[in-house]
Amino acid sequence: MEQAVFYLFAAILLFAATMVITVRNPVQAALFLVLAFFNAAVLWVLAGAEFLGIALVVVYVGAVMVLFLFVVMMLDITVAPVREGFARYLPVGLVVAVLMALQLGVVILSDEVALVGGLIPEPAADVNNIRAIGGVLYTVYVYPFEIAAVILLVAIIAAITLTLRRRTNMKHQDIPEQLNVHKDDRLRVLKMETERRPDRGGVGHEEG
Amino acid sequence: MLENYLPVLLFILVGLVFGVVPLLAGFVLGPRRPGAEKQSPYECGFEAFEDSRMKFDVRYYLVAILFIIFDLEIAFLFPWAVVLDDIGLFGILAMGLFVGLLLVGFLYEWKKGALEWE
Repeated sequence: MEQAVFYLFAAILLFAATMVITVRNPVQAALFLVLAFFNAAVLWVLAGAEFLGIALVVVYVGAVMVLFLFVVMMLDITVAPVREGFARYLPVGLVVAVLMALQLGVVILSDEVALVGGLIPEPAADVNNIRAIGGVLYTVYVYPFEIAAVILLVAIIAAITLTLRRRTNMKHQDIPEQLNVHKDDRLRVLKMETERRPDRGGVGHEEG
Repeated sequence: MLENYLPVLLFILVGLVFGVVPLLAGFVLGPRRPGAEKQSPYECGFEAFEDSRMKFDVRYYLVAILFIIFDLEIAFLFPWAVVLDDIGLFGILAMGLFVGLLLVGFLYEWKKGALEWE
């Protein structure tokens, strides 16, 4: 049963990942990436990493993918010219792909990880997954944890510096300013002598 | 442990069925008499003015990225809250520094006016 579920979701994951790089419409590609993330989360849960699986759904599907969709929509890409630079970027892409494949191979075949032998450590039965993570993350790995906070801080400042620009031509209502207006700012009472109405004066002149 | 996730699996399957079956039923059972006018794109009954792909203002992106950062912060808070009894004062101080660093970022974006929508 567990094997069947694993192969089902792994197959959907591979299908979705293939579609991400082959489908022409960038919005559809982003949605296929969402599907791939969901399936990866299922695989993580199957491997015993429950909290990481949920975090994958919450952070990647909930937030990062929304951002991807935003960027895709913002870039103003139409479907047609996407493949234009394919031959031009092929060498660079191949180099990156080979490097990534080598790194994956080194990790998978290394003795320390030993994925091939099927030596994934069994999670201890009495320790909750999230408890196991928390027990080391804030004590043994506290330094990388604080580094993560610094990286997030850098991200906040970088995002603001890159994208925040004031607009000078905006017309907007400033409600406190409207409420604070005093009568003297807007209304001027002039003292002046009363005048005769010119038409009546004319009539009087005629009679005289 | 995995037995606990059987309802989730069933939920996914039922959700899939609920999503796919009405679409298929409409596809199979519905009458289809396409015409040039029927299949042309329209906007509230009149001809579309422009391509629906248009540029969005970058400030939507800014709000989304600030949301993601604090979303990640919350993700770090969950395991911390679970093990708080075991890690004691050191854990509280570690999280205090973490949240304090992000508080600096929050005050920065507040004072900079990144949260204002003009």
